[in-house]
Formats: sequence, structure tokens, C-alpha cells
Amino acid sequence: MPYTINYKRLYTFAATVSWLLLVINSLFVNQESYPETFQENSNFLGRLFKVSFIAFVFLTQRASVEAYRGSDFIGYLWKLFIRAGSTAYICGLFFFGDQRLSKFFTPFQGLLEVIYFISFAFLTYFLGKAFYIWRNMILFQKTRALQYEWDWFEFLIYASLLGSLLGLRLLNYIPLLCLMVLYMLFLSIHLRWVAYLTATKKWRSVFLLTGILVGLIIFYEYFEYMLAQHQLIIDFFYDPFLGLTCLFVAIYTLISLLVAIFNLPTSSVFEQKREDLLNFQRLSQSIQQGEDEPQVYNLMFHSAMNASGADAAWLEIINEASQSSIIEAENVDETVVTQIRQVLDKYQVSSVEYVNNNLDHNAGFKALQLPWRSLNVIPLKSQKRTYGTLYLLKDIEQGFDRESINVIRTFTSQTILTIENLRLVAESLQNERYKEELKIASSVQESLIPKTFPSDSWFEISCYSQAAREVGGDFYDFLQLNEDRIAIIIGDVSGKGISAAFHMAQMKGIFHGLMQDDLQPVEFMVKANNALTHCLERTSFITAALYIIDYKLKGFFFARAGHCHTLYYNSMTEETFYFNTEGLGLGIIRDKSYSKRIHNMHYDYNPGDVMVIYTDGIVEARSANQDEYGEERLREMLSKHYHLEANDIKDAIINDLNNFSSEIIHDDQTLIVIKFRNDQPNLAL
Amino acid sequence: MKITHEIKDQTITIRLNGELDASSSVLLDEELSKPEIMLFKKILVDCDRLNYISSAGLGVFISHLQRFEDAQIKLIFFNMQDKVKNVFEILGLDLLMTIVSSYDEAMTIANE
Repeated sequence: MPYTINYKRLYTFAATVSWLLLVINSLFVNQESYPETFQENSNFLGRLFKVSFIAFVFLTQRASVEAYRGSDFIGYLWKLFIRAGSTAYICGLFFFGDQRLSKFFTPFQGLLEVIYFISFAFLTYFLGKAFYIWRNMILFQKTRALQYEWDWFEFLIYASLLGSLLGLRLLNYIPLLCLMVLYMLFLSIHLRWVAYLTATKKWRSVFLLTGILVGLIIFYEYFEYMLAQHQLIIDFFYDPFLGLTCLFVAIYTLISLLVAIFNLPTSSVFEQKREDLLNFQRLSQSIQQGEDEPQVYNLMFHSAMNASGADAAWLEIINEASQSSIIEAENVDETVVTQIRQVLDKYQVSSVEYVNNNLDHNAGFKALQLPWRSLNVIPLKSQKRTYGTLYLLKDIEQGFDRESINVIRTFTSQTILTIENLRLVAESLQNERYKEELKIASSVQESLIPKTFPSDSWFEISCYSQAAREVGGDFYDFLQLNEDRIAIIIGDVSGKGISAAFHMAQMKGIFHGLMQDDLQPVEFMVKANNALTHCLERTSFITAALYIIDYKLKGFFFARAGHCHTLYYNSMTEETFYFNTEGLGLGIIRDKSYSKRIHNMHYDYNPGDVMVIYTDGIVEARSANQDEYGEERLREMLSKHYHLEANDIKDAIINDLNNFSSEIIHDDQTLIVIKFRNDQPNLAL
Repeated sequence: MKITHEIKDQTITIRLNGELDASSSVLLDEELSKPEIMLFKKILVDCDRLNYISSAGLGVFISHLQRFEDAQIKLIFFNMQDKVKNVFEILGLDLLMTIVSSYDEAMTIANE
């Protein structure tokens, strides 16, 4: 605010010059050595310098007090008392000094006058500062009307400077004066700031206001004395401007003092209310501040104790296992708690809201000889569950009134809300973490399934795979055993989710590990069953089918371990059928006898034959009215579409399946279509 | 899924009603894991109202199969719907477990 500072300096400078001129003028007049040319105007010049001095001091204060902001009212009072009030006490010193010294010798008139004018400057400074600080106080939480009223008041006060200039005496205008005093009284009722002081601050303000009032009295006494004692020519107190401002400052100070004193008894109530509000706020903000449940309970416990003024209290919280435990206790030990709880249990009021304001009236409590007379039991309950119970004790009768019970009830319900929200937040964080882990598992699984099959001139192959959830239990894979033999495996791990995904990865490892030895399908299944014995939990099993296609022999070996039957189209006989072979799933029996439960099959294929292998998610897919897609419908689809390319057969089946099930997937779906070609093999591949 | 049971002499008949999926198979597992179940010589499972069985449901039976065999407890399924029976057959369980068409037949086998 560069302008303000400049104005302030300007005003201060102008005030100093005016004051010097005033003193010089006065000295000239009293020494009777006034230059003759100005003799006639000396009185007017004196008044002019006085008015200009007063006006500039006030303007300086107007600019400097403007900078005070906020609601540090004690700070305002302190500044007024220290900076301006102290000048009154210096005047008091002058007063005593004059009284003592005048007994011994008559003081030099010129010196007296200078001191007198210094005191006058002090008074003006004091009034200016007080006037504008009081303005800030009055306009605290102002309304538009109030601002308007004040502006008029300030205008009227400044207008009275004109009276000072013309040398009018205030006491000659009593009716006008009375009106002004009424207006001042009207403005002085604006004392909202007092309500914002705490008890200690109120005490402090009472002392400061008294000090300021005493300052005013000292000024008054001093000027009265000086006027009577030394007959100094200018009587400031009858000056309209100074008189009015003095009156205003005195009235507002006195009323503030009285209001502050009368507010002292109620301030504790306001303080309590304010603290309650702050505690509510803290409770409701606990989540943002990352507090945990014990901290919230602790905050609630102490807030409730504070709000009700309880002498002792304890808080019981019920944990997941429905056991209640004391998590907070103050001024009460566990044996007493147990005794009181026993009595409450007997009256069946240990978990309902219960107030007993005269414990001695109950025989049960009287027998315990408790040091307390009032008890308040508040359950912490939401609609869904009970979180615990708060017990408050007071050592006087009728200790708990409606008002404090309501406040505590609000505390407890806010606490429950906060606790429930905390749990929700924790839960959603946990869910977020699970989702993240599933995403990782899903991408790992994605990488385990081959994206492309070897394309060669012997057959065409097309795959479709869709998991019901993030991770599935279906898998398929292939391994080129040598240049004319390829192994293809398809499987399904029981169950869903992460564990199924793990077993699927294990199965992939087993497949690649065992097939290095170029095993026959049955040998592979027996060894895989053996391997899985040690890593599959008892409730899990795996179904699989392994096909080894031999281009040279134009045939394939296969074994089915509990997996869905293989659908086949024979181009020679133009028949579609299932290979209804026997074979037990992997991991169901975990001893040597498994080898009896699995069989090798061999089939010679013709060019144009189509083989469809799939998982149960396909045939068990369900329509809206819970019908299963079924093996028969799948077979019909193949008999209709066998002439298409492998990829188109797959698309036809999947489209039909999606129409049937409205694209709702209950189980992982995998479908592989292999079509043997008419083409002669290119052995170079 | 609703699981009820009926006790007659040394025989317990467990009735499965509804769909035996991943969540309801936990109930079945609890039922079959009860220690008192080992006091019976025969366990009959009425599948008349069993509309669907998931791999998790099959897993429960598989996991208890060996235990019952070791204790020489007979586990017999009866009144099985075709589509459910098909699931047992595809997996090869029809060769390991006893699946018959009616209660009487089940009782006959159980009393052998």
C-alpha cells in the first residue's frame, strides 16, 4: 500500500508543522511581542493551527489504524493502551511535577506552555487512535446499514471541526450535544467482538479498558488543573471537536467495560460450545487426516468427557468376535467398572441409553458405595451394528442435563459415522489392491497362452479363448515335437480365480517338461497325474486332452483325461460324431492305479476332416431360460459348417454360442478348430 | 443350494437341492467334513433336485472320496439328472463312484 504510507507521512509532517506553528503563535501572544501586522488575527490563526493539527493527527490515525485487520481484539486494546494510553500517564507525571515544583518557584511561562502543548498533542493522538480503533471494533461483522451509520457519524464529527475553527463553545449547543450523545450511544451498542473473547481474554480486556478509562480521567484532571492553575488561554475541553470525540471515546470505553464484565459469567458456556463445535469438526475430518479408529475413539472419548464435565468415564468397544473390551478409561479402575456393569446387567440397561442422576436411589449402586452420584450410559450404535458403549460418571446428583446428553449423543453418532466411513475407505483400498493383483495375474496368464499356432500346409488351426473373470482356468498349448509331429494340449483347471490360474501355469510347465521326452499321450497323462499329486490341493483336479498329430502317418494319437469329448467330422463318411472314450481327470486318484483309468486312442485322418476341441464352458453355456448349449447343438453346428475354413467354422460356432447365451459368460470358454488339408505337404517346412 | 439330511440306522441320506457351484460347495464341504459323518456306514446322496454341478462341487466329492473309502464307508449317488450324470461321466468319475438310478437300488447296493 504505497499510497497509504505516503499519505501517512504527509499527514504526520503537516500535523508536526501545524503543532509548531500553534506553539509559536501562542508564545508570541503570551509574550506580547506579536508582530503588529498579525495582531488582530492572532486568535483566528491560533484556532486555524489547532484545527489543522487536530485534523492531520486524526487523518494519520485513520490511515494507520486502517491497516489493522482480523479479530485480535486484545491486540487492538493493547496497542491503544500502550501507544496512546501511556501518553496520559506521562501527562500525569507532568501534573505531579508541576504541583511539586510550583511550591518552590514560579515556573517560566514559556516552558509551561510548551509542556501544555505537548500534553495537548498527546491528548489529540490518544483521541485519534482511540476513535479509529473503536471504529474497527464497532464495524466488526458490519452490515451495510451500520457502515452507512458510521460514515454519517464520522462526517458529523469532522464537521464539528468547523465549530472549532469559528471558536464556538460546545456547551452553548446543549440540544445538539444531546442528540449527538444519543447517536453515540446508538453506535456504542455494537459490541459483537466481546462475544468472541474467551474468559481469560475477557479478563484481560477488562483490565485494558479500565487502563484506557483511567487515562481519559487523567487527561481530564490534568487539563482542568492547568486551566485553573495557570490560566492558559486555550480551553481545549470546550472545543466542539475535542469535546465530542472525548465523549464518544469515553462512552464506548465505558460500555465495552461494562459489557465485558457482565459477559464474564457466560463466557465459559460459549467457550464450551465453541470447543464442542471444534471437536465435531475434528471428528468429521478424521478421515481426511488419515487417522485410525483408536484415534477417533480417543478424540470422541475426551470430547464427550469435556462436553459433559464428567469426573470419570470409560469406553467399551465390541470387536469382531463380539467381545467388548475397555479401550479408554479415566479416573476409574477395572474392578469398579466390573461392579457397575454387573449392576447394569441386572437392571438390563447395560447396552441401552440410560441416565441415572441419583445413583443412591438404586439399592444396587448404593451397595457399591461409589464416589459418584450420576451415571450416563450411551451406546454407540448404527442401524447395522453396535460398536460399543460409553459410560460417563459425575460426582454430583443431577449431573447430566438434557443439553449435555444431546451434545454427547451427537458426538457418538458422528463417531460412528466416521468409523463406518473409515472402514469403507479401508475396504475400497483393499479392493483396489486385489484388482491390481488380478490385473497382474491376468496379464501373466495372457502371456502363457500361445497367440499363434505354426501355420503349415498340413492343417489349419483356429483358436478362441474367453475367460469368465480376470483370470481363468482354461489353457491350451502346442509343442512341435519334430518336423512331422506336433503335440496339442487343452485343459481346464477346476475352480476359478488365482489358484486356478496358478495350476494352469503348472500344467503348462508339466506339458513342456514331459513332452521333451516325446511321450505317448497316455504316458504323459500318467506322469502328469503323478506330478500333480504333490502340487494340487485335494479339492482341485485338472481335465486335459492331449493330441499328437503325425503328418507322415496321417493320423493322430490322443488321450482324454476327463476332458470334454472331441467332436469330429469325417469327410469320407460325411459324419459328425464325438469320440466317446474313457479317461479319468488328473489329480482325482493320486496313486499308481491311475494308469488303468486312461487309454490311448489312434485315428487316421483324411484330408477335409475337422476336429473341434473345447472346454466345458462352451457346452455348458446357458441361455436366459437356463437351457444348456449342449453337445448336440455343437455337433449340428459342425455338420452345417464343416466345409468352411477352420477360422470360419470357429466364428460360426462362437456367433451361435453368443446368440444363444446373450454373451453372458459363466465359465471360461475355449474352442480350437483343426481342419486337415487336402494339400500335399511341403516337406521342406 | 439347500442341503438337508435324513438319518436312518447306519445310513445318512444327503439331499442336494439347487445348484452346486463354487459358493454352495463350501456348504457341502462343511457337511461332509463333520466328524459325526464318519459314524455312518453308508452315505447316500439324493441328486433328484441337483440341477447343476460345477468343478468346485465335484472337487468336494473327490476330496472326500479317499477318506470314505479308507473308512469303508459306501458313498452312493442316486436319482441323478442326465446332464449332471454326463458331467460325472465325462470326468471319468462314474467308474470311481457308485451312481444308481433309484433310492431302492441304492439301498440294495448299500446293504450288500
